Amino acid sequence: MRIVKKIFFLMLLAFSTLQGFALEAQQRFPKPEFANGYEQPATTAPSPRALLLEYLDLFVLLAALSLVTWLVVKKRSRKGVFWTSVFSLLYFGFYREGCICSIGSIQNIVLGMVDSSYTIPLTALVFFLLPLAFSLFFGRTFCAGVCPLGAIQDLVILKPIELPKWLQKVLGLIPYLYLGLAVLFVATKSEFIICRYDPFVGFFRFEAPFHMLMLGLLFLAAGIFVARPYCRFFCPYGVLLGWMSKFSSRHMTITPAACIQCKLCANSCPFGAINEPVVETGKRLKNVNRLIAYFVLLPLWMAFGGWAGSMMHVPLSQYNKTVYLSEQLIAHPELKNDQKNIDIRTFLTSGKTTEQLFAEARDIRHQFYIGGWLLGGFMGLVIGTSLIRLSTFRRREDWEPDKTNCLSCARCMDYCPVKKEGVIEGGT
Amino acid sequence: MNDRIKLARQIAWLAAGFAAVMAVLLIANYIQTRINDPIDNKTIPALVKRLSAAPEDETIKEEIRAFDLMARKAYFTSQWQLRTGSYLMFLGLIVSILAVRYILSEKSKLNEIDRLKEAGELDKLIAQKWVMYVGAGLILLASVSGFLSYNALDSYTVDESTSGDSQKTVGQEPPPEIQQAALMTDTTTARQTPAVGDPVQLPAKDTTQVKAVAVPALPSKNQLRANFPYFRGAEGTGIAYQKNVPEEWNGSAGTNILWKVKIPKPGFSTPIIWGNQLFVTGADAQSRVVYCYDRRNGKLIWEADADSIEGSPATAPKVTSDTGLAAPTMATDGRAVFAIFATGDLLALDMNGKRLWGRNLGIPDNHYGHSSSLIIFKDKLLVQFDTNRAGKLIGIDSQTGKTAWETQRSSKISWSSPILITNGTRTELILTSNPTVAAYNPQTGKELWSLACLSGEVGPSAGFGEGLVFAANEYAKLVAIKPGDTPEIVWEADEFLPEVSSPLAVNGLLYIATSYGAFACYDAKTGAKLWSEEFGDSFYSSPVYVEGKVYLTDTSGKTRIIKATRDYQPVGTVELGEKSVCSPIFMDGRAYLRGMNNLYCIGTK
Repeated sequence: MRIVKKIFFLMLLAFSTLQGFALEAQQRFPKPEFANGYEQPATTAPSPRALLLEYLDLFVLLAALSLVTWLVVKKRSRKGVFWTSVFSLLYFGFYREGCICSIGSIQNIVLGMVDSSYTIPLTALVFFLLPLAFSLFFGRTFCAGVCPLGAIQDLVILKPIELPKWLQKVLGLIPYLYLGLAVLFVATKSEFIICRYDPFVGFFRFEAPFHMLMLGLLFLAAGIFVARPYCRFFCPYGVLLGWMSKFSSRHMTITPAACIQCKLCANSCPFGAINEPVVETGKRLKNVNRLIAYFVLLPLWMAFGGWAGSMMHVPLSQYNKTVYLSEQLIAHPELKNDQKNIDIRTFLTSGKTTEQLFAEARDIRHQFYIGGWLLGGFMGLVIGTSLIRLSTFRRREDWEPDKTNCLSCARCMDYCPVKKEGVIEGGT
Repeated sequence: MNDRIKLARQIAWLAAGFAAVMAVLLIANYIQTRINDPIDNKTIPALVKRLSAAPEDETIKEEIRAFDLMARKAYFTSQWQLRTGSYLMFLGLIVSILAVRYILSEKSKLNEIDRLKEAGELDKLIAQKWVMYVGAGLILLASVSGFLSYNALDSYTVDESTSGDSQKTVGQEPPPEIQQAALMTDTTTARQTPAVGDPVQLPAKDTTQVKAVAVPALPSKNQLRANFPYFRGAEGTGIAYQKNVPEEWNGSAGTNILWKVKIPKPGFSTPIIWGNQLFVTGADAQSRVVYCYDRRNGKLIWEADADSIEGSPATAPKVTSDTGLAAPTMATDGRAVFAIFATGDLLALDMNGKRLWGRNLGIPDNHYGHSSSLIIFKDKLLVQFDTNRAGKLIGIDSQTGKTAWETQRSSKISWSSPILITNGTRTELILTSNPTVAAYNPQTGKELWSLACLSGEVGPSAGFGEGLVFAANEYAKLVAIKPGDTPEIVWEADEFLPEVSSPLAVNGLLYIATSYGAFACYDAKTGAKLWSEEFGDSFYSSPVYVEGKVYLTDTSGKTRIIKATRDYQPVGTVELGEKSVCSPIFMDGRAYLRGMNNLYCIGTK
C-alpha cells in the first residue's frame, strides 16, 4: 500500500507542477473586427530553453541510461527498472513534455544530413546516439527504463496475451515502413511525421487534437492486452535500436547460471522476445532450397518494391505543403484571394510568384519520386530478409532473449528461479 | 490481504468510473464546441455587415463588442473545461491502473501471459506465407494508389507547353483576310508575308455609324484632362478633373441612372472616354472585342474584333476567372484607341473603329492573365509586358504599331499598370513590381532610377503626389519614395496594404484600400495614419479623386464617397446594384461605372 501511496503522491506532484507550467494565453482568437481603442499587445516568442537546462537533459539521459543498464546487466532488478521508467515518464514525458525525444531525433539527424543550412542541435545528436551506443553494448536498455513512450505503455500491461508468430512478423514490418516514411518526409523537408503522429505526446502536454488523443487512448487500451504495441509495431527508433542490440556483446541474460528449462521466463515475457530451444525439423534439402529461393527473390522484392514506391510519389508528395498548396491553386485559382487561408497568406508573404511555387512543387515531387524508389527498395529488402530469417535455422539449447526484439525490461530475470550460480529460489 | 484487495478493487472501479464520466463529458464538450464553435460565430459577421451600412451606429458597435466578449468567454471556458477534464480523466485512469496492478501483484507473484500453443516449424512457415502476402499486398496497394493518383502539377505544365508549342497561330496559315489585306496595302506591307511581331494593317470590320471626335495633332495636357483617356485618368494617378459629379445613385432602384447597357462580353477593364465616345473591352474564349458607346445615351456606336492578328493564339491562354481575358484598360489619345488582351493581342483602332494596326506581342506567360493597362506619352504607346519568362517595357509608335524601343526589366512578373509623373522638368513613367519600383524615360525607355522595396505578386500601380511616388503591395509594405537619380524612401508603413487597388495621393493625403475591406488615409508627407475605416467588402478597384471627394467602389458595387480631408468625413454610400471591380470615371457631370455585367451612366435626371 505504501508503494501505491508513493505513486499517488508523485502523480499529484507531477500534475501540480504541470499546471504551474501550463500556458494559458493562446493566440487563437481573431483580432477584433474594428478599431475600439484596444491596443493589441505585441506578439512575443517564448525564449529558448536555457543552455544549462539542455545540459541537464543530457545529464539525466546519461544517468538514467547508465542506471537502468546497471540495474539490468548487473543488479538484475526488475523493480529498479520499473521505478527508473516511472522517473523517466515523469521527467522526459510530463516535465519535458515528450521533447526532446530520441525517437524524434531521427528526423533532426536526417535533416542535418540533407540540409547543409541546418545545424543539428547537440541535444538531438546526443539523444540519437547515446541510446544506440548503449544498445550496441548492452541491448535495448533505453526501451526498458528511459523512453517515456515505453514507460507509459509498460504501466498499462495488465492482461498480456501472446500474438501469433505470423501476426508479430507482419506487424513487425510497420516500424521499417514508418522509419522509411519518416526519413523520406524529412529528406524532402515536408514534415516531421514522428512528432506529428506521436500518440502519447498529447497526454504529456495535456493538449492534442481530439483524434490524436483518441489514438493515444487506443494504444493504451490495446496495450492492456498487447504489451507495448507502439514500441513493438510502430517505433521507428526501435528498428535502429534492434539493429544495434543484435550485436550487443553484454546483453542481459535470463539466468545468471545454467538454465533449468522451466519456461517461466517465456511465460513472463509479454513481448514474445524470448527464443525457445530449437532443433532442426522438416527435410533439410527442402529447407535449403527454400532458403536459396528467398535469396534469389531478394533483388526482385527490392526491384518491385522500388517501382511500387516510386508509383506512390504523387499521393505521398501531397502531404508536402508546397505541393499541396500548388495543387490547390491549380484546381482552385480563386483560393489566392482567401484571406483566411493561412497557407495562402504565408505564401504571399514570402514574396514568391505562383510560377516559382509550382516549380518548387515539381522539384519536391521529383524528390519524392527518387525517395519512393529508395523507400520501396528498402521495404523490399526488409521483406526479403524477413523471409530469409524465417527460413534459416539456428540450433539453440536454452531459452534466450531475442536480442533484436528484447526490450530488456527484466521481467524474465525477475521470474527466473535461478538467482545465482547453483542457487534456485525456493529450492535447495 | 483480502481486505486490501477488496479496497483496491473498489478504488479501481471508482477511479475507472470517474475517468469514464470525464471522458463522456470531454466528448460532449468536443461535440458542443464543434457544433457551436465560438470562433466561427455567425452573429458577429452579420452585425459587422450591418455596421458597414451604418458606420456611425454606436449601438451596433456595442452589440458587436458584447457578442465578441461573449464568444471569447465561451471559447476560453471551453478550453478550461477541456484542459481540466483531461487532467481529471488522466488522474482517474492512473489511479485505476495502479489499483489493478496492485491487485494483480497481491494475488499472484507471477503475472504470466496467455501463451499460444507452439507449433515450431509450422509457425515459421505460416509467418513466411503471411509476410509474402503482406509484401505483395503492399506492392499492389502502392501501385494502384499510384495509378489512381492525378499529378496536377505535370498536367499544368503540359497544358502550358501545349499552348505554347502546338497552338495553331494565324501566322502559320494566314487567313484570307490577311492575304487580301497584304495585297491591298502599300508595297512596304504587301511585299512580304508579315512576320510575327510586326503590325498588320487591316481594314476595320465595321466602319459604319461613325461619329467620332478626332484630333489630328497630339493632345495637350488640358485635352487629356478634359477627357478620361487612361486607366485612372489623364496621368494614371487616379485624379479626375471634372465638375458637378453625382453623389447619389442607386442601380437597383434606377435612381439617377441615365442609362444602363449590358456589355456583350465579360471583362474587368475600366471604360475610358474621349469626347462623346466611351470605350471598353470584353472577351471570352471565342473572341476579343472593343466596344464604342455613345456616352450620352448608351448606344453602341461600333464594335471591333481583335481577330486575324499575326501570332495570335488559336485558343485563349489559361487565365483565372477573376482576371479574365479583358482585364487591361484601354488608352486613347483622341486620334486612336488602343486595346490589349490576355492573348497578347494589341490593337489600334481609329476613332471610327477602323483598325489601324494589330499585332501580337507574344502570348503572355501569366498564370492569372495579363492585366496591365496601357498608357500613352506623346506618340508612344507604352506597354508593361511583365511575364513569368521575362519582364519588359515596350514603347510602340502609336501610329504605325512598330516597336520604337524595348527595355528589359529585371523584376519578376507583375500586374500593375504604368503611370506618368512629372519630376522637376522631366516626365517619368513609373512601374511597380517585385522587387523594384522603377522610373523610365517614356520617350526612350531608358531606366532613370529603380529601388528594390516590394515583394510578392504586385498588382497595385503606383500613386503620385507631394513630389513622392507611393508604392505598396499586400504582405510587403507601403513606401513613399522621393524620386530622382538616387531615389530614397521617405517613409514606409505596413498596417494597411492593398492587394489590387492602387494608392491615391491628393491634397497631401494618401489613400489605401485593401482587399479585406479597410480604407485608410495617411499624411502623404510624413506617413502618419490619419484615419482608417473597416467597410467589410473587398476593394479591388482604386480610389478616384474628383471635385474634392474620393470615390471608392467595393466589390459588392457600393461606392463610398468621402471628402478628401484629413479627418474622416463621409458624404454618402451609393449602390450600383451589382458587383463591380472597376473604378468610376467622370465626364460632363456624369459618372460611368462598369459592373460585372452592365455599364451604367449616372447623372442627374
